[in-house]
Amino acid sequence: MVDLFNSKSLEKALKEEICVVYILYFDEAKGHVPLLIFPFEEGSKLKDNKRFMRPIKYHPVWFLSIEEQEPLDHIDLEFKGYTFFGKKFLTKSKRKKRRAGLKEESPEIIVVIASVSNDIAIFGDELIHLITEEIKEKFDDKLFKIIECEIAKDEIIKTPEIKKIINEGMKIKKDLNNMIDKITENYFHNTIKQKDTDLMNQQKALSYLALKGIDVSAIGDIKKTDFFLNNIKLFDPSTKAANELALKTPFIITNVSIIEDSQELEITVQNNTGKEIKDVIINITHLKEFFEKEIMEQDIDLWFPEEELLFISPIIPNINDYLFFITKKENKEKIFKKLINLKSLKSLKN
Amino acid sequence: MSDNLLKEDEIIIRNYRTSDYEATLEILKQLDKEFDIGFKEEQWKQSSGLRQFKPNLKRITLIAELKSTGEVVSMGMLEAVKNSLGQYVGYLDNWSTKKDYVGKGVGKILADRAIQILKSWGCTSVRINMGYNVSKKLIDVICKGQGFTPVFIVLEKKFDEK
Repeated sequence: MVDLFNSKSLEKALKEEICVVYILYFDEAKGHVPLLIFPFEEGSKLKDNKRFMRPIKYHPVWFLSIEEQEPLDHIDLEFKGYTFFGKKFLTKSKRKKRRAGLKEESPEIIVVIASVSNDIAIFGDELIHLITEEIKEKFDDKLFKIIECEIAKDEIIKTPEIKKIINEGMKIKKDLNNMIDKITENYFHNTIKQKDTDLMNQQKALSYLALKGIDVSAIGDIKKTDFFLNNIKLFDPSTKAANELALKTPFIITNVSIIEDSQELEITVQNNTGKEIKDVIINITHLKEFFEKEIMEQDIDLWFPEEELLFISPIIPNINDYLFFITKKENKEKIFKKLINLKSLKSLKN
Repeated sequence: MSDNLLKEDEIIIRNYRTSDYEATLEILKQLDKEFDIGFKEEQWKQSSGLRQFKPNLKRITLIAELKSTGEVVSMGMLEAVKNSLGQYVGYLDNWSTKKDYVGKGVGKILADRAIQILKSWGCTSVRINMGYNVSKKLIDVICKGQGFTPVFIVLEKKFDEK
């Protein structure tokens, strides 16, 4: 049980409850090997706990190749009240592989999974993206040392050379852990700038965070105070957080409606950047099992500030989840994405 | 007559905004009264005139606004539809001007802009559906002024809604 009078243990318990980040690599002989489980300490027995690791070991991200995963950005698994956002990438390797056809320098498969409660799953997309990008940028050429360290730990006789490998790996692991700590803290405290606060999911998620003691008023107003132990200020009328949020949203979905007669989905989106947007591509896709199928692709040469555009997509029988993307034509960077679930839309209308 | 004509710089041609809803509603009602275009008020929503994108279709509602007063005086919809041959054909629909501004050249300014837009979208041709009982004078004005030629006659059968 958490010691309520010990702020550090309370902070740790809250961190565990809000978000857990797993970094794993794939070993041909051992299977999915965890390198780090944040915020749990090194030496935690959780990685050997079959029940705890079940959604990680059976996560669909393992079954898709990097190319298959690419259009989806990340793969999600919902399990017992939590959503596990998974992302896979390749990195440098010096490990001797145990499968024919693989060489020492064949790249290592790294999987990053961030699990958050379903109540705040709306924040998971951006979080997994941030964590993966930072790992790739800062640890791409170091991850193989953590893998070497994990393998070395299994050696029965620890020679000075092996000890050196372990120490070096542990140091990198500590840096990685600190980086994830910083990203998650910063993300939940400062970076969430989702602006359509009137959406039910968003309100639900913010309420959840507020309930957990996170100062969600900081979403609009960055405050450099303690991350996890702030007062709840969500409904403080003296703050203008909602307005500030609205200004920060580059695009707002102002309306989504289902046209029953023609079986069409109407999505109205507003350019809220305050400037003209040039050369973007709009994609509407639907999800079936783990795969994505495109329904509509539309080039927008010019999108005026504050202008609302109406996108009409056919509704595919038995498909409930539709993804709406805005991508820059130039570098294919996704600048906006939203999942539209017809079931929740219908229940909201009723 | 030419004294009555509005100059191009007296008019702003722009895309429809949701705030134009009431003004466009009034113009469309007026058009329906005159030509029975089958307009139903409950189907013309605030979002109906927004730039619209659908597989194989793009649509814009253009608005002509008086620069001096901000009054919406004319409107017209243009759409590009991909036909069965894979070509985009442009259509000018529901072209209408407020009664007080008919004959002042607003429609022509609006149509010129619409044709430019349809051309930029890669349309191979532009078509206008006109009322069967429309005056020959109006057909002549459009044909001579804008370079259109009468090509089709459209026959329509309305279904009994009951």
